[in-house]
Amino acid sequence: MDSLIELQSVTVHSQEHISLDEVSVAFPANRSTVIMGPSGSGKSMLLKVAAAIIPPDNGRVLMHGKNLQRFSQKDLLQFRRSSGFMFQDAALWENKTIFENLALPIQLHFPRRSGEEIERRIRELLERMNLLDSLELRPAALSEGERKIVSFLRAIVLDPEILFLDEPTTSIDHQLLEKMLTMIKTLNKGGCTIIAVTHDAHLTAMIANHLVVLKDGRVLESAATAEVRRSANREVIEILSQVLSEAATYDTDILDLLEE
Amino acid sequence: MKSSGIYAIADVGSGLFVTRRIRAHPQNRLRPRFAMIAKLGKNVSDAFGNFLYATGFLFNLVKESALFLRRRQVGFRVLVMQLLFTAVEAMGIIALISLGLGAVIVVEGISILPKFGQGKLIYTILLIVITRELGPLLTAFVIIARSGTAIATELGNMVISHEIEAYVSVGINPISYLAVPRFLGVTLSMVLLTIYFNFFGLFGSYVVTQFINPIQLQDYFHNLLGAMSGADIASSLIKALVFGVIISFTAIYQGFKVRVSSTEIPQVAIKAVGQGFVLCILADAVITLIYYV
Repeated sequence: MDSLIELQSVTVHSQEHISLDEVSVAFPANRSTVIMGPSGSGKSMLLKVAAAIIPPDNGRVLMHGKNLQRFSQKDLLQFRRSSGFMFQDAALWENKTIFENLALPIQLHFPRRSGEEIERRIRELLERMNLLDSLELRPAALSEGERKIVSFLRAIVLDPEILFLDEPTTSIDHQLLEKMLTMIKTLNKGGCTIIAVTHDAHLTAMIANHLVVLKDGRVLESAATAEVRRSANREVIEILSQVLSEAATYDTDILDLLEE
Repeated sequence: MKSSGIYAIADVGSGLFVTRRIRAHPQNRLRPRFAMIAKLGKNVSDAFGNFLYATGFLFNLVKESALFLRRRQVGFRVLVMQLLFTAVEAMGIIALISLGLGAVIVVEGISILPKFGQGKLIYTILLIVITRELGPLLTAFVIIARSGTAIATELGNMVISHEIEAYVSVGINPISYLAVPRFLGVTLSMVLLTIYFNFFGLFGSYVVTQFINPIQLQDYFHNLLGAMSGADIASSLIKALVFGVIISFTAIYQGFKVRVSSTEIPQVAIKAVGQGFVLCILADAVITLIYYV
């Protein structure tokens, strides 16, 4: 299986502790990888390093076998154009309207696209999420769930080939969540590589072809979902059971849930 | 900083340039005497590291500023907004301060100088105090208080809320898009406001003169221009330019130094103000020394 992004012996320090400790992991192309682990295990950091947002202190991040840190400005811009990142806390630009938040990536990467085209694309996306009324609002006027939806729309506004999702489903109401999951599934079927950090068993069961299990900044397991299901590693089983709280709630065998 | 451009920005945005230096230090295991020396050494080493980083950051900022017009992603709107906030919105307070200063100098000068037969010296004093010294310095203080704090706070908030990382994620260079327009906006505003300060300071002194010792406008400006030299104007503009660079760089650098907590924001705002004041006064002394030596 071809790997799209590969981390080799990546170490990242943040504050007084090590967020990622000699992490080596590969994310397969055109598949969906879900990263799991307890809080503070370094999942978000791993996602940001894989997306070349935060550089590693040691180790390498490879994209199609080429070192991302040695990419030229042009290649890096091409990578940004083909990828989208949804942040855990939305990270919307507070001094811009929702329209401007969604328009900026298009204006940057497609400067010749007309204003009407950009507006049509943004209206279409917002309409699907029932957020058209928010077009001229600032992010501060939205609820947490709505902000996350806008962050998701910003990540997919350029029809990315790689989509990074950091806890995409938290704080979102059921109706919007269903719409979002449908969009993620459609992107996935269209060949978009998805790398997601989530605690959501439903999302994991729906999209995960590949699972990465992290603990204390180290990778415990990285394999196809079916293989992880057969894992004899008790630590992995324990973490999956703890992380996917829904499984505990419904008293379901977590590994069966992943097989849905 | 990493070699690749956007990586370097991400480096700044995430504050990793600071975090990498924070490690458990063996000094804790040393005897008190040696621990003190180790701590001193670490502080010196940190200060040197920060200085090197700040120098690299300034170089990057100046380089990106030189490429401002060529960049596809430049923030013209941010530049216009910065000029509006720093220059236009400060015009009222600058006019008030400069009019007041000009008036005070005239009142004091006209009361004292004629006693020594040096009535005409008032024009030279006006030029030295307003144009060469207090004009650029007081304008700098106003800009530090208004824009320096605002920039450091705004950028610090953007780091905390991961907005900087969001810019990086879509391919926008935060230095080009966020730092450069603020750097150019504040520097340009500083120069424009200094000219404005000089105009109002000298005009204000004329208005006050009319109440004390009425003089024709033509005569007043004839005497004033007679006492003025090219060096006075050059000194004023050079100071304004240097102060503008100092204020904007200090505020931007401090804003980007925020790492994870909102409690760091007031701290960096205070540092932006304190360092801005100190560096402007030092630069003022150096430029004045160069002028006279």
